[in-house]
Amino acid sequence: MSDISMRVNAGRLAGLKGRTVRLPCKVLRLADDTALVEASDGGQVEVQRKNVDVTATYIEVVGSVVNATSIKALTAIPLDSEGEIDMKLVNDTIELSFESRFDKVFPRYTDSI
Amino acid sequence: MSQLSSGICRRLNEAPQEEIEQLASGHTVQLLSVKKVSPTTNTTTPTDRYRIIISDGVHFIQAMLATQLNDLVTAGEINKNTVVVIDRLACNFVQDKRLIIVLDLHVVSRDEEKIGAPTAPPAVQEVTAPADAQAAPSFVASPAASSSTVQAKQQQTRTGPSTGPSGRSGKSVYPIEGLSPYQNNWTIKARVTQKSDIRTWSNQRGEGKLFNVTLMDETGEIRATAFNTVVDDLYDKFEEGKVYYISKARVNLAKKKFSNIQNDYELSLEKNTEVEECLETTGVPMMKYSFVPLSSLEELQKDHTCDVIGIVKEVGPIGEITSKASNKTIPKRDLTIVDKSQYSVRLTLWGKQAEQFTTDDLPVVAFKGVKVGDFGGRSLSMVSTSIMSIAPDIEEAHLLRGWYDGIGSGESFQSHSSALSGASFGGFNRNEMRHLSDVKESQLGMSDKPEVFCCRATIAHIKSENISYPACPTQDCNKKVVDVGDGWKCEKCDKTFERPEYRYIMSMAVADWSAQAWFQGFNEAGLVVFGKTADEVHEIKENNEAEYNALMAQSTGVTFNFSCRAKQDTYNDQTRVRYGISKIIPLDYHEEAKCLVELLKSSWAQ
Repeated sequence: MSDISMRVNAGRLAGLKGRTVRLPCKVLRLADDTALVEASDGGQVEVQRKNVDVTATYIEVVGSVVNATSIKALTAIPLDSEGEIDMKLVNDTIELSFESRFDKVFPRYTDSI
Repeated sequence: MSQLSSGICRRLNEAPQEEIEQLASGHTVQLLSVKKVSPTTNTTTPTDRYRIIISDGVHFIQAMLATQLNDLVTAGEINKNTVVVIDRLACNFVQDKRLIIVLDLHVVSRDEEKIGAPTAPPAVQEVTAPADAQAAPSFVASPAASSSTVQAKQQQTRTGPSTGPSGRSGKSVYPIEGLSPYQNNWTIKARVTQKSDIRTWSNQRGEGKLFNVTLMDETGEIRATAFNTVVDDLYDKFEEGKVYYISKARVNLAKKKFSNIQNDYELSLEKNTEVEECLETTGVPMMKYSFVPLSSLEELQKDHTCDVIGIVKEVGPIGEITSKASNKTIPKRDLTIVDKSQYSVRLTLWGKQAEQFTTDDLPVVAFKGVKVGDFGGRSLSMVSTSIMSIAPDIEEAHLLRGWYDGIGSGESFQSHSSALSGASFGGFNRNEMRHLSDVKESQLGMSDKPEVFCCRATIAHIKSENISYPACPTQDCNKKVVDVGDGWKCEKCDKTFERPEYRYIMSMAVADWSAQAWFQGFNEAGLVVFGKTADEVHEIKENNEAEYNALMAQSTGVTFNFSCRAKQDTYNDQTRVRYGISKIIPLDYHEEAKCLVELLKSSWAQ
């Protein structure tokens, strides 16, 4: 697997099954081995997080996509900045990063896994 | 043999204008002849025009083929005896005759025999139907032009017989749009949408008085000005809101500096100008607005004019301002208006309007031609040509009323008065930001006048030797005080103080991606950069060199938004441009990121 991980929202998970992605999200519910989070486009995702600590309300989950609503976390990075993060702004940025005019700006997934 | 829609030709020949366009679509007719017409001297386009004769088997009528269909003829698709279905047609009325133009058709079959034995349709008494205002028969058909928005019976061709219902014998009413300096035998019928006060002026060339009115009819608007003696004659004749026939005024090129009206020309009212009140006001529209939502005020340039409509949420008290130019006191009043875009903005009324503005409730007010300013972010101001109407009877006003009564009153609004630093703004305008190499290349500040600009840059280096100076502690006196042994003396106030108040005076090298420049910062700048008062920093510098150096290092490498003033300075025979910081603002990353997203989505970035 290549080392590239793109930032995504819930809607983009479906197209990237098996890839490593970064998902900025807000933690809704925390359970022992899982967490329910809300991504920047409002979609809810289940995070399988064995041995991964979640220490803040807003985190970026780096992990591999299991399916359109589930991701297996490798690590979670806390993102808090004085409480609220503007998820709409985050979502705008994510969507912009996938536009073809920015192909040279953001690393893209190559086709081989 | 194809089946033709018999009867259609007769109906096309007889139907009134409103019906014609609906009539023809979908009818099958045969083209009895297709003939090229040589371009008449009137038309300016050299394209060929084809005259066709369409038959429904019973009658035949003449028509023109729209130029967009010319290819069909040249390709041989349509010619004599072709049967077609008319998809769209238009009807122009020119000099009391109707002219049918086929805009779109599709071919059904070719090479048929002539169907039926069509004859000319029975003659119809042509009603003087509303004609296109442009006199020259324009063969370039466009449905918009023919089914014009002209109200019935108001517009007539210049050359046609005038059967004006207005009762004015002989004169035919001209559209404002058609006014030009080359024709002076015209009469316009227009409503006075705005009348200014009488203004007097005096300059080197003399003095005088003037007033202007804005006239509007359904084709456009135009400004009219009267000077000196004409003012006395006409000022009382014109009343706002009323409709007048005006003729024999001079048509001049518009002085765009003095007016916001969209017209290349303007009228000068003279001694022989005739103004007659018109009691028949049908056809002359009321105010035309093109409202801008308050949220998009930021996109408009400063000094631009616009129309807005909103609910007056707050009415300020009457204040007075002394005009520096004329030393006169002018009353002013600030209103805060809000609208559906969830933005609020401050709008200033002046003079009589400020004095007379009273409302107890929260009315919908529409403003036309208010000037956009950048006071506190964005602000609006009435100018002499602005028109304010309280609770206007237009759809937009009703929508606003409904919105406000429903949810609006509870909403909180985003303000255009920038909340960044409370006090009145030096005008940090993100849209007009420049980068440093641009500032240097365009030689801002090289001319005698100081010029302002905005930019975003990172502090590269602070000259730490001379960071502050001892200043006079008296409010607003910032003069340097001299150490006279047992105190510090201020020359200006002639007072001696035990301790001076230090104020920042800094030279900083700032850089962005394009270039580096030296900016001069004063006390306010220093406070933002260091986060400490100059007194404190002075203390640190005297006592603890290590801490001082650490402070300098920590303050470099930080990025700010700057609002600067570029001015020429002569120092020892050397003239240089100096950039002084009027405002330095720490970055609000959230705000900046949002602006970047906007920029990326805008057309600039595509």
